[in-house]
This record gives sequence, structure tokens and C-alpha cells, in this order.
Amino acid sequence: MSSAALLDQDFGSESEDDNFNPAPAEDSDNDAAGDSDEEVNVRTNGNGAEQRRRPSEQQAHDDDEDDDNDAEGSFANGRQSNGHGTRVSADEEDEGTKGNGAGRLNATENGGDDEDEDEEEEEEEEDEEEAISGRPRKRARRDPRNQFLDVEAEVDEEDEGDEEDEGDQADPFIAETHPDDVADLPDGAETDDRRHRELDRQRERAQQMDAEKQAQLLREKYGRRTATNADAVTVPKRLLLPSVDDPSIWGVKCKQGKEREIVFALTKRIEERAGTKNPMPVISAFERGGTMIGYIYIEARRQADIHTALEGIMNVYPRTSIVMVPIKEMPDLLRVTKSESLVPGGYVRIKRGKYAGDLAQIDEVETNGLMASLRIVPRLDYGQAEDNNAPMVDGGIRGEAQKRKRQNAVGLNNPATRPPPRLFSDVEAKKKHLKFLQQMSTFDKKHWQYMGDTYISGFLIKDFRIQHLTTENVNPTLEEVTRFTAGAEDGTENLDLSALAATLKKGTSNENYLPGDMVEVYEGEQQGVSGKAVAVRGDIVTIAVIDGELRGQNIEVPVKGLRKRFKEGDHVKVIGGSRYRDEVGMVVSIKNDTVTLLSDLSMQEITVFSKDLREASDTGVAGGLGRYDIHDLVQLDPATVGCVTKVDRESLRVLDQNGSTRSIMPSQISNKIEKRRHAVATDRNGSEIRTDDTVREIGGESKQGVILHIYRSFLFLHNREQTENSGISVVRASNVATVAAKGGRVAHGGNTGPDLNKMNPALMRNGVNGNGAMAPPKTFGRDRALDQTVTIRKGPYKGLLGIVKDTTDLEARVELHTKGKTITVPKDTLGFKDPLTGQSIDYTRFAGTRGRGGGGRGGYAGNMGGATPGREPQWQGGRTPVPMATGGRTPAWGAGGSSARTPAWSANASTARTPMWRQDAVSSNGGGRTPAYNAGADGSRTVNPYADGSRTVNPYGGSTSYGGAAGGGSRTPAWNPTATSSSYTHDPFSSRTPAHEPSSGRTPAPSYPTPQDLRPYDAPTPGKDFTTAPTPAAHPSNGYAGSTPAAIGGAPTPKFSGDAPTPFSGQPETPGWRGEADDEPSDVTFPIQQGRFLSTIFGS
Amino acid sequence: MYFLHDMERTITLHPSFFGPRVKEYIRGRLMEDVEGTCTGQFYIICVMDTDTQDFSEGRVVPGSAVAEYTVHYRAVVWRPFKGETVDAIVSSVNREGIFADVGPLPTFVSKHMIPSDIKWDPNATPPQFTDNGDQVIEKGTHLRIKIMGTRSDVGSMFAIGSIKEDFLGTL
Repeated sequence: MSSAALLDQDFGSESEDDNFNPAPAEDSDNDAAGDSDEEVNVRTNGNGAEQRRRPSEQQAHDDDEDDDNDAEGSFANGRQSNGHGTRVSADEEDEGTKGNGAGRLNATENGGDDEDEDEEEEEEEEDEEEAISGRPRKRARRDPRNQFLDVEAEVDEEDEGDEEDEGDQADPFIAETHPDDVADLPDGAETDDRRHRELDRQRERAQQMDAEKQAQLLREKYGRRTATNADAVTVPKRLLLPSVDDPSIWGVKCKQGKEREIVFALTKRIEERAGTKNPMPVISAFERGGTMIGYIYIEARRQADIHTALEGIMNVYPRTSIVMVPIKEMPDLLRVTKSESLVPGGYVRIKRGKYAGDLAQIDEVETNGLMASLRIVPRLDYGQAEDNNAPMVDGGIRGEAQKRKRQNAVGLNNPATRPPPRLFSDVEAKKKHLKFLQQMSTFDKKHWQYMGDTYISGFLIKDFRIQHLTTENVNPTLEEVTRFTAGAEDGTENLDLSALAATLKKGTSNENYLPGDMVEVYEGEQQGVSGKAVAVRGDIVTIAVIDGELRGQNIEVPVKGLRKRFKEGDHVKVIGGSRYRDEVGMVVSIKNDTVTLLSDLSMQEITVFSKDLREASDTGVAGGLGRYDIHDLVQLDPATVGCVTKVDRESLRVLDQNGSTRSIMPSQISNKIEKRRHAVATDRNGSEIRTDDTVREIGGESKQGVILHIYRSFLFLHNREQTENSGISVVRASNVATVAAKGGRVAHGGNTGPDLNKMNPALMRNGVNGNGAMAPPKTFGRDRALDQTVTIRKGPYKGLLGIVKDTTDLEARVELHTKGKTITVPKDTLGFKDPLTGQSIDYTRFAGTRGRGGGGRGGYAGNMGGATPGREPQWQGGRTPVPMATGGRTPAWGAGGSSARTPAWSANASTARTPMWRQDAVSSNGGGRTPAYNAGADGSRTVNPYADGSRTVNPYGGSTSYGGAAGGGSRTPAWNPTATSSSYTHDPFSSRTPAHEPSSGRTPAPSYPTPQDLRPYDAPTPGKDFTTAPTPAAHPSNGYAGSTPAAIGGAPTPKFSGDAPTPFSGQPETPGWRGEADDEPSDVTFPIQQGRFLSTIFGS
Repeated sequence: MYFLHDMERTITLHPSFFGPRVKEYIRGRLMEDVEGTCTGQFYIICVMDTDTQDFSEGRVVPGSAVAEYTVHYRAVVWRPFKGETVDAIVSSVNREGIFADVGPLPTFVSKHMIPSDIKWDPNATPPQFTDNGDQVIEKGTHLRIKIMGTRSDVGSMFAIGSIKEDFLGTL
């Protein structure tokens, strides 16, 4: 392009446009000044001197410009006549001269002639195009025309209005048409051919010139400009500041809220009077909106002007006080603070009236900025609260009106009485208020008029004055906002989260960041940067950037552009004002500002704003910090309990025993029922169920779950797979079947002591051998059960009487007396009649006694008899142990362990606790158990007798210990074996040991077995003791002490002691003992001391 | 991920067990107490090197007669990590997502973390997530899951997972 372009520009219409384009900042100072003047004028309307002055200046410009153009025109012409070679430099010169001559004005001119930097490239192209096609065409059209036609002043359409370019464009005409001018033109100027050729050549040159040169040329041309332009931008600002020569600004007091009206009135007056004889002497008037309530500002030359201007305008008080604004502060007055712009779709709160505090969505804002039309979720009662019997005056309307009045008086505003917000329902309205209802549009079925208000799509549309609205810190909760989303016809939620987020952003003050929060900048220069907050000061958060280029740096960011950042899987807690407050959960999805998390407690997904979240510690937290926690069982009234299913901030949700849920206040709870770990219930099959068992409802909804609470016959279950009620449900105990009992409960029946079965190494050894409990000893020969009349003690036939017809090892076929039917039942469940006492005993016992009896242990048998009863209770408990009993100690053991109850006790007791025993013995089979027991204590003395008994027993038994005394001989052997073999065992069981041995298979012992058992039993008591009250320490000592110790032992001891003396015979044992003791002391530091041990023994 | 982890445990032993085989008991007790439990951080899978375990001297606790042993042992533990990919068996499905068990670790895969083409189909029996193709997720399905987060409580853990990535989902 180059010169061609230049040329074109000179003549082109674009240049003109540029010239008159008021907007670009790169216009010269003057232009800028002119512009700003114009702007001011737009506002002021005043006809102050200044203004007058300025237009004149402007005119001066224009003149200048015109001159300039003319000059340029001539230049151009001149140039044209010159060769191409000079063209460029001439142009440069041109500019130079222009710059000098016209000063800043010329700069404008130049700026106009040539293009802005910004447009440079575009223009370049344009120019090029023009160079190729545009101009030449124009000229080609024009020139020939001029050549052949005589039309003087025909104006090209395109050039219409291009007054500015007159100079250039007119030139050819003038030059060519006006003979006078011809002389000024270079030779042959009028010959078009030449120009054509010139153009063609230019074009060629332009094409040939390589791009680099072009670029350089352009840079030369425009590069300089930019500098000037930049300068031009800065200068005017300074110059624009008000000076002493400028009119002053006065602040005038007025009525609050009327500022804008006054200004409008004033403006109107200025307009009216402008151009009249007495124009308004003020230049401008304005108000400062919210920041300076009660003042308007007027710009005028003299204070007196203000009084004249404000004469007769309402609500303004120029007489009271007028404050002159210092020149320095003037610019501040005009500083624009971005006003809280209400945008349709945004949210506000209503300050007063029926809807006070309600959230409303802006439907429309009126242009005057005073009113806004809001969408509100109406609070209507559709006349439900009306008194039907109230006198209806004038067809009800007046009555209605009166009523409304009265209601208002009572306080419709009272939040307690106002109806809840619900979408408008024409159906409801029709019920009672058909006469007040009117459909507004036939095609829009959702547009109603009701009681003077408009309802569209269920929302109330109502105009409010903006001053009655809260526009800041609205803080809509998701819950509130979702009410506005129900509008969509297809039921889809069209929640405009961005509008909501924008509203929320306005109330940043309550957005609290704490050091340590992970945050992300989503707005502003540092957008996308994320990091950890290290400090928070007011609205500024200092962030340690953790990734990206700024990594490792600390940057400060305003709260406004921040949001908290979470990752999927983060464990977070809801802290904000949402209704989910205090929920804890893991983030499952994140979408912009909203985070969805899976609540730990309810296993439900909830969606909240990220600002309402905070990282929670990684460990689970039970929700709710109040007195009641989820899953608590609470007493609602004397007859009702409920399980807390949800803890809100102020209320609890409970599921009561009847299966209904309700929300209650904590104050409605009379007390919390502590979880009773040992509560027991039976399921429909009669098996025992406890808390933490898994049960399934039979029938009904087949609910399944883990038992949380047992309350009377109700079970509260928890099932994490159920969503309703946080997985809690209530069922009747009689409707459930056990699915799994916790820990496969077998051994312990509510026994809190250590599980002796597990604790007894001897038993464990048995376990190793493969049989957990010792099998009942085989009896040979005819089963004694045959033909016996028995009762069935368990199972579906429980309680029936029958005769045993046939038996196997474990089962018996019993012909029932009642049904005439033969059934097969386990022998264990049969109750036999004891031949001697007539009491009901179980099979093992039954069989066993006999055997012994046979043994000819006469005396002992007697004892046995005595014993049996004592035991029976135990057995009756249904303890399989029985068999063991026969077998030997183990049983005793087992019995003790499993039955755990007093009976066990008694069992053991037999020996140590002998009391019972004795009791029984003495009383001869006295049935009493516990009592016996108690008696026992007293009876300790009795013991002796007993002891004797036991001694007798010794032979049989366990008495080994005693044994020493009794059949010592035989015993001992048994003993020794035990001792040796079960060396370890002893310690604890010392006294028991003997018992053990038998079990361990000291066969010899067995022969006596039964009795032995007893003994051992007795001896073992210690074991028992453990069970009951794991004070074992005492016992062991006993053991060591050689049972004597019993004495040493705590409470029980006494009894022991009683026995101790007798038996204890311990001595025999001792040896065994000692042996062991010697062997093993290393393992355990035994405080006890053999010394003591021995002494006791000897002592005893 | 599995680790060999050295740990320590205090075991109290009832006097019943004092004897020549006390070590055996302690060992037994250790296994019983520890194997298969969760510390809240990891699961103890298996106690190792039972022969080289280091038992302290027993000390009788005053007042109760039980003896305390401190045992140093080494165990194979499993600790689930965020981002770890694991195989799981679906234990139940509902509208909100899938519950699956990664060994001992219950895991939830939210519907947000299921590819959008796999949809909840409540009408199928049993209800399932399916893409109407070969991917059907119902109880018992084997899944490959990426753990997105874990939560530890006292003695238990919980995780959420995702199958919304390549190579995750049904096996």
C-alpha cells in the first residue's frame, strides 16, 4: 500500500469518519475535552458561562479543522502533482508542519487521518483493498464523468455528508471544474489519464514492495502516533479537575427519601426555563443515593442562585443550611459507587408486612429504580380461618373487608399466625372464595387474580418499594430457594443457581474462611489459583498457593473472588445456615459452587453450597452435639418411647414405638433411656435376642436390622440400607426371627465375668483333643431309660408325659400318654423321676445315679442323693453339662460356666460353697437353692458335717483334696497324675486340679467319677468364683494355699475356710502343687509364696 | 494396600493360664484378639512370625491378679487409600447408589460416581443398575472400584468409591 494508501486516506471517507468519531480516546486533548464537555452538558443542561465558553472553543476547533482540511487538501493536490518518490516524505513533512502549526488540534487531525493503533491492521487491509478496487473504481467513475459531463456539483452518494473531506474530495471537482483553480494545480492535474497511471503504478509498487518494508513504513508512520495518543489520554484527566474558576457545588438539606424526586423536579425546571428570559442559574443538580441521605447537590456559580432555583420546590430546605463542597472533594462527589443493582432473578427479602422476612425473587425492576415487582410464595389461608357465622354485609364483601382489617389488627404479621408459604392453588381458592377469584387470561391457565393480587404459576406477583426490601445479606437458603423452582410445568427443577450464587456473594461478610481452608480463586486476575488459606484479615485472605506457577508464594485475595475447594471423597461438615447444618459426610460430587455429599449418619445425599462446608476431621463424628443423639431412645410420655432418627438444630425427629415419626422439641422429651445392654427379649421362636443381634421381621415388611434398643416387646432396629428414618424401624419382638446373634452367644447368659470356658486351659486342652465338652460316659447294658415314665422338658411337646419305648445313644422314642403317638426326642430333654426322691431329674443323672448306686457306695450314695437335689436346680436349667457331671469335673465346670447362675454356684458351692450343699445335705435334699446358699454362709459351720460328707465322698471325688483325708490312697494316685499332667492347670485350680485330672483322663479317677465330680466340683469352686466374681486372685491363692487359703480369699473364703480345715486335706495335693510351683514360677510372678502356702497347709 | 506392620499389644492373662504353656496362650489370645479387626486406620489381616514374637515379662496387675504381657508382633495389615483401585462385591443397591464390600471395608458408590449410561432400574428384579447392555450391577456383582475417600471411626472404616472412570465397573 504505502503511498497509495496514504493517498487514499487523504481522500477516503474513512478518514472523515475518524475525524468525527467522538469516542476514541486517542483523539487529541481538545477532542477529549470536547467530548467530556459534551458529556457534562448532557447532564447539566445549564447555560452557565463555562458551557457557553466551551461550545465556542469547540467551534474554534471546527474552524481550525476546516482550515486544516483545506490546507491538507491543497497539500494533497500538491503532492499529487509530485512524483511518487517524494510522496512519502512530503507526507511526513506534512504531518510535521501540521503538528507545528495547529498544535494539538492537528494531532486530532492526524489521528483522524490515519487510523488508531487498534484499527491499524484492519485499516491496513481496508486500505489495501481500496487501493486495489475501491478508490480507483470511484475515481474511475468520477473522473470520466467529469471529463465528459458538465455537471458541476453532482455528489456521489457515498460522499454525501462527508463534509469533512470536502477539502479533499471537492478538490478534484473544483480543480477540474473551476477554471480559476486550474492555475493552482500542477500541470496536467486535470488529465485523468495521468492519475490513472499514477494509481496503477502506485499499486504495482505497493504490491512489489516487500512486506518488511511495508511494515517498517507503517511503523514509522503510526509508531509515533501512539506515543502522542497515550499522552493524550492522561492529560485531560488532570486538566478536568475542577479549579477555582469552576462553579461551586453546594449541598442542600432535603427530606429523606425525596432526593431523587427533587432532582427530577429541578431538572425539569431547568429544561423548561432554558432559552427563556430567565434561565435557571444552576448548572447541575444531583444526589448521592444511599450514601448521603437527606442531601442534594447543586452546582452553581453563586449561592444565591440556588435559592432562586429551589424556590417553590417541595421537601427541600435551602434556608436551613447549605454546605459548600470544597474543591478538593468535588471529584469524590461524582465518584460512582456501583449501586446495588437489582437484577430480575435475584433474591431479596421483604422487610415488612405479611411477608416480612420472606424470600422473594425479583421479577422486574421499574426503570425509576424505586419499585420492584417481586415473585413471592404466597401465604394464603383461602378463608379457612374465617368465621363462617360472621355477619355478611353487602353480600359479604364488606364483611370480608372488615375481617381483613380485624385480622390485620390482630396481627397477620405475627409469624405465628400467618399461614405457611404455599404456592397459590386455584382449587383451594374456589372452595370458599370463588367470588374473589378471577382468571386473568384464557390461554394462560396459571394467571389468576385473587383478592386483588395477581398470581402467576402459583406465585404472588406484587410490587414493592425497593426501600422496603432487604437487598444485602439476603442469604437465601437452598431450601427457600427451591420453593421458587417448583414452577416448571414438567416438574423439572430449574433452579438458577447462578442467580442464587450471585445473591449469596453479596453477603460475603458471613462467609468465613479460616486458616487451613482449601480455597480457590474463581474470579479476578488470579482466577484458577488454589491454595491454602494462611491468614484472614477482614475481607482479605492470604493464600499459600499450592500449585500452578505461583506455587509456593503467598498471595492476598479478596474474599469476594474466593470459594472453598473440596475434592471428591473429602470428609466435610456442614457449617452454614443450611438446614443440613452439622451433618457430616463425604463429598461425592462437585458442581461449581454446589457440593453433594453423602451424609455419614443418614446415608443420604445432600446438596449444599461449598461456602457452607468445612473440612471435617477424618474420624467420624456423631452428629448433634446436644443432649440427644441419633439412635438414642427417649421417653416421650409415660406410655411412649421413641428412637431419635434425626437431630436438627432445634428439633428432633423420633420414631415412636407405634411406628409413627414426629418432630419434637428437646423439651418435649421427658428423659433419655440409657441403653440397657442386657435387655433380653425372645423372638417368635422363643430364642433369646439381645441388642446388636440381627433379626428379621416375619411378615409385615420383612424388615431386617440390628437391634438398637429393646423396649418391652418392641425392638428398634437399624438397617443401613433403609433410607427412611435414617434406617431405623420399630418391630414387635414377637414378630421377628433371629438372623444372627452377636458373637454366636452360647456360653454366657448375661455373665459379665470372663468366659471361663475360654479361660480354663484344661478345657482348652480338651478342645484340642477334639471334644469341647466331655462326652457322657458310656453306659452299658440296657438303657435304664426304657419303659420309664418321663416328662418332656423342652421343645414342642414340652410338658407332656410319656413312656420311653426305645432309645439310642442320644434319642429316645417316647409314647405320649396324651396323643397316643410316639415321638422321637433327645434324651436330654426328658425328665425322669428320681427313684429315691421322686424328683424330676434328667437322663444323665438318672442313668448316673443308678450306676453309682450300683457301685455300692452306700454312704456316699446317700450323699449323692443329697447332692443331687442341690444340683438339680442346676441341671434343670437344662445344662447339658450334666453329662459332664458324670464324666467328671469338666461338667462341673461347664455347668458353672454355662449356667453361670446361682445354680452353678450352688454346684460349686457344693464344695466350697458347700453351704448350699450342706444345706441340702443337711436338710436332705432340700430344694432350696439360693436360700440354701445363704444359709450356707451360716452353715459354714455345718460344713463340717458336710465336710465329712465330702470326705466320704473323697473316695469319689474330688475330694481328692480332702481326699487326703478320705480314701486318700486311691485318690492320690488320681491326683498325682493330674498334678503332673496338668501342671499348669493347677495354678488356678489348684484345688480343682484333682477334678481336672479325672477329666484329663486320669482314668482311675473316673471310676469314681460321679462323686468325684462333685468333689472336684466343689473344690473347683474357685473356678466358679471366677465366673461369678472374677476376683480370682483370691481363689488362686486358695489353690495355693491348699484350699485353706480359702480363708485368705475375700468374701467367699469364709466358707472355704470352713471347708478348708476339713479337707483340705490339701496336703496331698500340695505335693503336686509344689512340684508345679517349682517348675513354673518363672512364668508368673506369684506373689503368693509358697511359704505362705506351706504354712497354711501345715497350719491347717 | 497391604503392609507388614510392627505393632504392640498388651494382653492380660487370667491366672488360670499361668503355667508352662503361658506363651502359647498369649499367642492364641493375640491371634484371637487381633486378627480380623480394624483399628480405624487399617485392617489387621494376619499375625506373622508367631515364633519370633517378643513377649515381655508378665507383670501381675495389682489388685486383680491378672498378668499383663506386652507383645510385639508383626502383622499383615490392609489399609485402603484414597485413589486406590480395588475389587469389591456388591452387597446392595438402591436408588442412591451401590453398597459394596471391599473385603472387610464397606464402600458406597454414589450415583454421581456411576457412569451416566449406567442407570438405576427399579423395575428389574432385583433392582439394579444397568446400561441395558452387558453391565448389570446388582447384589453379588463383582466390581472394580476406585476409592475416593475413606472415613474411619473407632474400630471401623467406611469408604466411598467411584466407577466413573476407564477400566472401572463390572468385572
